[in-house]
Order: sequence, then structure tokens, then C-alpha cells
Amino acid sequence: MRIGKVIGTVTLNRWHESLRGASYRIVVPMSLDNLRGESQPKAEEFVVYDELGAGAGSLIAISEGGEAAQPFRPEIKPVDAYCAAILDSIDL
Amino acid sequence: MQLGEVIGTATATVKHPSMNGWKLLIVQPYLADGTTPDAEPVLAIDDRGAGRGERVIITSDGAGTRALVGSDNTPVRWSVLGIADQ
Repeated sequence: MRIGKVIGTVTLNRWHESLRGASYRIVVPMSLDNLRGESQPKAEEFVVYDELGAGAGSLIAISEGGEAAQPFRPEIKPVDAYCAAILDSIDL
Repeated sequence: MQLGEVIGTATATVKHPSMNGWKLLIVQPYLADGTTPDAEPVLAIDDRGAGRGERVIITSDGAGTRALVGSDNTPVRWSVLGIADQ
């Protein structure tokens, strides 16, 4: 899991049937410098499936790849980024 | 498996239920030179008791981590395998 900052939300008006009711956040991954406040995130943002209700500005744990779809098993969903946790604090 | 340094810890109240009770470490993997960060730090679960500043081996074996957590549904991939002495 990487740490990402939520910078926005996506809403869809058509979706894959398995994704009905899902909610999505736009997230930028945070580097070490970003986390230390020494630079602003500049990596490419991506969309993360969120069922925890992360708000704008939250730091979240992003599960990616195969593990991102694991929480839905035995259901199959085409999800490759999943919000696994909303971080209360990080201590560096 | 990758060598990384524990640079911090994270806490979360709202999280996937499989993560309850697990310590979350922030681990920075390094390139072969041992000092250049290799991409972003990762969050890894740990039951070895690794602390800040320690060098650890982390694994991206999701199946291994699912067995460790005891949940087929956990979204966690990285876990700490061991703490390096030197």
C-alpha cells in the first residue's frame, strides 16, 4: 500500500454493473519528501475505489493491483486501487 | 522481497476490518546503493516489532500476507519478514 492524498471525487453516470453504488476518489501518491512537507506531490493522480468515506485532504492507504480487488471476493470487481484505511496520523 | 528502512508509523481508526490490531509501518525501500529512495514509501504490517530507523526485509507476497493476517479478503500486500542486523 502506498500513502495517497485525496484531492477530489469522481461520480459516474454509467458504470460496470459490478460497480453500482461505488464511490471514487482522485488521489495523488505521496513521496517521502511530500510526507515531510519538503515538496508538493507531483506524481500523476489516479482514481481509487473508496467505501470508507475519505474526504478531500485525507491521507489514505491505497491498496493496488490484485490486492485491491481482494476485499470483494468471492465477488469479482474490476478494481485496481482500493482505499484500505483513512490515516489518522503519520509519525515520521 | 526488498530491503527498506522503517521511517515512521501510521495509525488509522477507519480501515478494512482485517487490519484491526496490526501495526502499520511506513517503510522506504532503497535502490542498490542503499541510500537512494526507490519510489514512494509503502505501508507494511508488522508483527516482528520493528522500530524506526531499523532496516527490514518486506515482502510484496499478497498471498503470504493474507495467510499472516488470516483473512482472504485483506487488501494488504506488504508485510515485514524480518529485521536486518547489518
